Amino acid sequence: MTYILVAGNPAVTELVAAAAKLGSPVTAVVVGSQAVVDAVNAPGVDAITWLGDPGAAGAEAYASQVAQLVAAAPGVVFGGRHPGERVLLGAAAAALDAPVITSASEIATDGGSTVVTHGVYGGIAVETLAFSGPVAFLLEGGAPLAGGGSAAVQQVAGAPAGVTVTGLEPPATKAANIAGAARVVGVGRGLKSADDLPLVQGLADAFQAELACSRPVAEGLEWLPKDRYVGISGTQIAPDVYLMVGISGQIQHMGGCKGAKVIVAVNSDKDAPVASEADYVLTGDLYALVPALTAALQGAS
Amino acid sequence: MKIVVTYQWAPDPAEASVGSDGKVDFSRAKSAVSDYDATAIQVGRALADATGAALIGVSVGGPAAGTPVATKAALSRGLDEVLVVADPTLEGAGTLTTAKVIAAVVKSLGDVALVVTGDSSIDTGARMTAPVLGGLLGWPVVTDAKSVELAGAAITVSRVLPEGVQTLSVAGPAVIASSADASKPKAPGMKDVMAAAKKPAAVKAPADFGIALAPEGAVKSTGKVSGSSRKGVRIDTSDPAAAAAELVSALRTTGVLS
Repeated sequence: MTYILVAGNPAVTELVAAAAKLGSPVTAVVVGSQAVVDAVNAPGVDAITWLGDPGAAGAEAYASQVAQLVAAAPGVVFGGRHPGERVLLGAAAAALDAPVITSASEIATDGGSTVVTHGVYGGIAVETLAFSGPVAFLLEGGAPLAGGGSAAVQQVAGAPAGVTVTGLEPPATKAANIAGAARVVGVGRGLKSADDLPLVQGLADAFQAELACSRPVAEGLEWLPKDRYVGISGTQIAPDVYLMVGISGQIQHMGGCKGAKVIVAVNSDKDAPVASEADYVLTGDLYALVPALTAALQGAS
Repeated sequence: MKIVVTYQWAPDPAEASVGSDGKVDFSRAKSAVSDYDATAIQVGRALADATGAALIGVSVGGPAAGTPVATKAALSRGLDEVLVVADPTLEGAGTLTTAKVIAAVVKSLGDVALVVTGDSSIDTGARMTAPVLGGLLGWPVVTDAKSVELAGAAITVSRVLPEGVQTLSVAGPAVIASSADASKPKAPGMKDVMAAAKKPAAVKAPADFGIALAPEGAVKSTGKVSGSSRKGVRIDTSDPAAAAAELVSALRTTGVLS
């Protein structure tokens, strides 16, 4: 048995794709609304166990129940990166005594064991491991599923415990969606001041791109909200083009943009790590180059 | 009543080097209590001060985690005492193993109302220790907590999600992972460092908690990350406008711009 854990969001295409490769029947364990169940009922999913709509209970409240369900018929488990998904995955891993792998690049079965290649220490090296028992995988969920499958849905009475959502205040500004953007412009510590952000925002606007940043810009300097930082521990992006402005390209950051088709680096240091990780390198003063790029991209579609 | 804060004594992977065989060499990387964990300690300190609880730091790691340098660095962040499980087999331990040892320590302490963890580990960024720890203890888990309040067994958490600011009521004891911006830890001053030298620090082995450690999987091979497949085209920037035009033209050729 192979499981995918769904916590209120059907954006689990990549989990189903990885699970289906292992050759065992795939069961989706769903905490969410009827609409989520309908979306998850897609090709590649063989069975759905539905714990119901959580309502005011957080998805986290179902952790123990999900863990018991999975432990009753042990197998490999897949979950996504969102907070609720991580908590369900962690509970399942604890119940299954399963190691947790968070940066797998290849997953296969080999005579009863699961063989995994994953990045270690933030992706600075790779390692291939063989596991004889269950493994818990944290993966990028990918695009939402859109139904069209014929899995049998088994409804199980939910038993939420311990966590209740008591309020939700919608954000003042619309949440950024850098993960799904086709073009992203990222800004780093090369920018001298928060007052200069409009310069880079102007470039993003001209390029019809979402504005993103490196971790220090979001977490240390707090110039931009956290949901805009790219990195292994932040948001992982896979745009058609990623234009990096004043970002040196530390491993943690580059691990979050591996999926970009084209990377352009604008940086003052010709020897910065990003110079060997980009398709196009423009070495120079960003305060001279960004206005030139903005002008050139204005009107280019 | 006790509040536990977990922390890691870890080298920064940005300072590690990778050999041609893919083995990671941390010998030149400096170890520290990571910013994430310093943030969590600060959150725990505020809760302990508000409730009169004892604040206990728990760490799991290789022998270096049990050295006085490491325990004093953690204590100077504001913990009342530390309990470190240090063992060569715990060097670079996986999430499951780390969580098992922490769970055993928490159970042995007794009367723990809350475990606070950092947002993510500095070396793997996995963000899974709190979820697995909660699973092992059978306690509720909430991650990404920007603020935490504790009143008896009732824990109130607020966190920033893409859909908005969510508040949750959690039945304790529980495991709460604080967000990276849950507090602003300041660097310890001379007074903090002096005080740390007098605080209790216990260093134990896994066997003290009856834990037998097993490798999490059989290593079949290690390797370097294959070299960059990026083009690495350098564009002359002596004339910014010409450089911009050249880039736009290159992006058209690759199909990024139509």
